[in-house]
Amino acid sequence: MREQYKFLLPSLIVALVVVAFPTVFLFYISFHRWIIFIQGIEFTGFGNFYSMITSREFIKSLQVTLIFVVTSGLLTFVLGLALALILSERLRGQGIIRTIITLPVIVPPVVAGFTWKFLLNREVGVIGGYLLPALGFQKSLLGDPHLALGSVILADVWSRTPLMFLILLAGLQAIPTEIYEAARIDGASYWQSFRKITFPLLKSAIIIALILRFIDAFNLFDTIFVMTTGGPGIATQTLPLLGWKTGFLYYNLGEAAALAVIMLFITMIVSLLLVRRIRQ
Amino acid sequence: MRFVNRGCLVRGALYALLTLYLIFVLFPIVWLVLSSFKTHYQTLILPPKLIFKPTLQAYEKLLTGGMIKAFKNSLIIVGIDIVLALVFSIPAAYSLARFKTKLGENIGFWFLSIRMAPAFGVIVPLYIVIRNFRLLDTIFAVNISHLLLNLPFAIWLLKGYFEEMPIELEESALIDGATRFQALLRIVLPISLPMVVAVSILTFIFSWNEFLFAFVLTSSSGVTVPVLVASLAGTMRFDWPLMCAVSVGAMIPAFVFVFFVQRYIVRGLTLGALR
Repeated sequence: MREQYKFLLPSLIVALVVVAFPTVFLFYISFHRWIIFIQGIEFTGFGNFYSMITSREFIKSLQVTLIFVVTSGLLTFVLGLALALILSERLRGQGIIRTIITLPVIVPPVVAGFTWKFLLNREVGVIGGYLLPALGFQKSLLGDPHLALGSVILADVWSRTPLMFLILLAGLQAIPTEIYEAARIDGASYWQSFRKITFPLLKSAIIIALILRFIDAFNLFDTIFVMTTGGPGIATQTLPLLGWKTGFLYYNLGEAAALAVIMLFITMIVSLLLVRRIRQ
Repeated sequence: MRFVNRGCLVRGALYALLTLYLIFVLFPIVWLVLSSFKTHYQTLILPPKLIFKPTLQAYEKLLTGGMIKAFKNSLIIVGIDIVLALVFSIPAAYSLARFKTKLGENIGFWFLSIRMAPAFGVIVPLYIVIRNFRLLDTIFAVNISHLLLNLPFAIWLLKGYFEEMPIELEESALIDGATRFQALLRIVLPISLPMVVAVSILTFIFSWNEFLFAFVLTSSSGVTVPVLVASLAGTMRFDWPLMCAVSVGAMIPAFVFVFFVQRYIVRGLTLGALR
């Protein structure tokens, strides 16, 4: 018995240091007025939460985040599913195609952001400065508020579709081929077997993919930071960028912590709603 | 899904779509590499010349311009991070996998929650602690923060692997008088080598690519490669070839690894959610 506890000890210590401490301390900070360079830490109750939620920037950032997460999430999902379906057919050069499709997910997000910033640049970019103007489109992609959000979404789709593709492909490969053969013998069409076999059996993989993708997009910082730093104005400022700005540009750690707590609750609620769909 | 006897038309359309997507994926990477071999003037010309005399100017500037320090920092951070992550995660994962208690199960679930937390939320408490210890802008600070993020992940992956392993081998060793520690070291670890390697590589990729923590915790002497890329991209003096060269340098290590460990990546990225 004693040996068992000796072995459980490391995981307990690790859990305390890694999980318990940051979470507890984060909640503690969020209830205090905690600004670097200003002396004195005061308990303010829900003060930080109140001033965060009622600020106009928060509302705007919430909208931007919603548009970003939904659009980018749906696009990566549809593309990832299409690619996974195509690649589970017998194709020539499957291995190499799969490797190429996977590549962007291991490109550092900072580099992905920079690359797209370079490509879309109005002055020197091949796409934003040459291809689009040649087609008669003269606007600056990263300078226009609406187009900038679209550009950021494009870069995110490029860098994150592989993640969806890999999860959904793994899900597809777990479906036994015999089921399809039986369906074919019974005369089922491709579309019928997709709706009646693939989709129901893939459901849990789809939901896991959506949960991971939601968490990922909701917390995305690096790509947007490098491409636009939230600009022009605050047109591409998602919640993590607002949190960084509040905490590390204005040094208002209390409010930043409050925003982090709000985001944590949103993440938990959305994930739980999705998880419940697996159980059904 | 295998429908062999599909028309040529469908098959052709599939290939066409795939080709389009592959161009979308590869074009930015190829363009980045090409531009890194151009002179500053050549990157400014539009329409771009596809045939040009390549030059190593940008790479020379990278080596002589004091930027190599960021690469050195990143490599040191990643190296220490892998060793520490393994040293702490292996016993923890083993104990969670073999001794099932209510507490253990809860710990396992808590670990997952750290992945759900917004990164800038985790960094607020950490920043305060590191600032109070006067460790800002050191490699140590970045290392601690990366370890914090990597540990739960490493433990979760290894725990899943240990749980799938047959218990009989260890049991016979224990009956023969081996201690738990010996059983872990001599029997469990050699069998789990593939997973240990996979965890190391995923730790590498994560730590090498991580930006926010390194960015907030460092300012000059502890800077890592992603921070360098971001700071170059943020300056107004755009030296495009140099930025491209640094980006290429930042991509290479992960690319090298992927070809070795492709099959573990899915598992790693999905946190073992799919088996």
